[in-house]
Amino acid sequence: MATVSTAPAPGMHQIDLSKLNLQQLAQLKQRLDQEMTVFQDSLHTLKIAHGKFMESGECVEKITPDTKGKTILVPLTGSMYVPGSISDTDNVMIDIGTGYYAQKDIEGAKDYFKRKVAFVSEQMEKIKTLGSEKSKVHKAICMMIEMKFQAQMQAGKPNAS
Amino acid sequence: MTEEIQKKMQKELELLSGIQKDYRKAVAQKQQLDSQLNENKAVKEELLLLKKDAEVYKLIGPVLVKQDLEDATQNVIKRMEYISKEIKRADDHIFALENKQEALQENLNKLKIDLNKLKIKA
Repeated sequence: MATVSTAPAPGMHQIDLSKLNLQQLAQLKQRLDQEMTVFQDSLHTLKIAHGKFMESGECVEKITPDTKGKTILVPLTGSMYVPGSISDTDNVMIDIGTGYYAQKDIEGAKDYFKRKVAFVSEQMEKIKTLGSEKSKVHKAICMMIEMKFQAQMQAGKPNAS
Repeated sequence: MTEEIQKKMQKELELLSGIQKDYRKAVAQKQQLDSQLNENKAVKEELLLLKKDAEVYKLIGPVLVKQDLEDATQNVIKRMEYISKEIKRADDHIFALENKQEALQENLNKLKIDLNKLKIKA
């Protein structure tokens, strides 16, 4: 039956869906809907973060000792640039969060972005597995609602006619 | 009698919706604190990974101010403690609101049953 697919995850107590009434099922479904939206949103945010870290990593790759002294255009605003030159090709500043910046050498920076990308990917995987579990439960609940609804309709028919 | 109960229900419903609003606010606040804690955790790990002589700056307004690595680490740890405390407080708050919600819901259900009984009588 439908309850089979709601394999209990650790820390989650198993509820027999067939014992719940329609209202409870609807409530549960609504809560699951909300949770799934949260997962979708986080996944989206993580994807953006993943992209940003990848991009930053690629930028660091472009800084080599050869680029020393080369002229670049520094963006002051989104649409205004001033010429500048790279004076230090060995060190970069990295925003490590909460307003802190750390100076790292190129190798360290590459390593940092690699680690961050790996971390974000890991989180994404976690959310994906959690999300698919939730959608399984969601499906089971939808099926249950359907079944209960039909049972109710059939039970109500003889009275109505 | 029916009107009285309906009035009561109206009142309870208003109370409930107010608490639900508070509840949503509290949950959002807790989520924000959670994400702050996570960010601080990541920063702490990063600071611990740095070499002893690494240069660390803190962004204060538009300027970067040089900081001692040791000081920065201590600061982050202190902030994590503070956020953890805040999270505990938020948790308690959420729990209290949950209880209030449940009590109100029960009251409402009782009133509904009373109302139905009256309707059947009438």
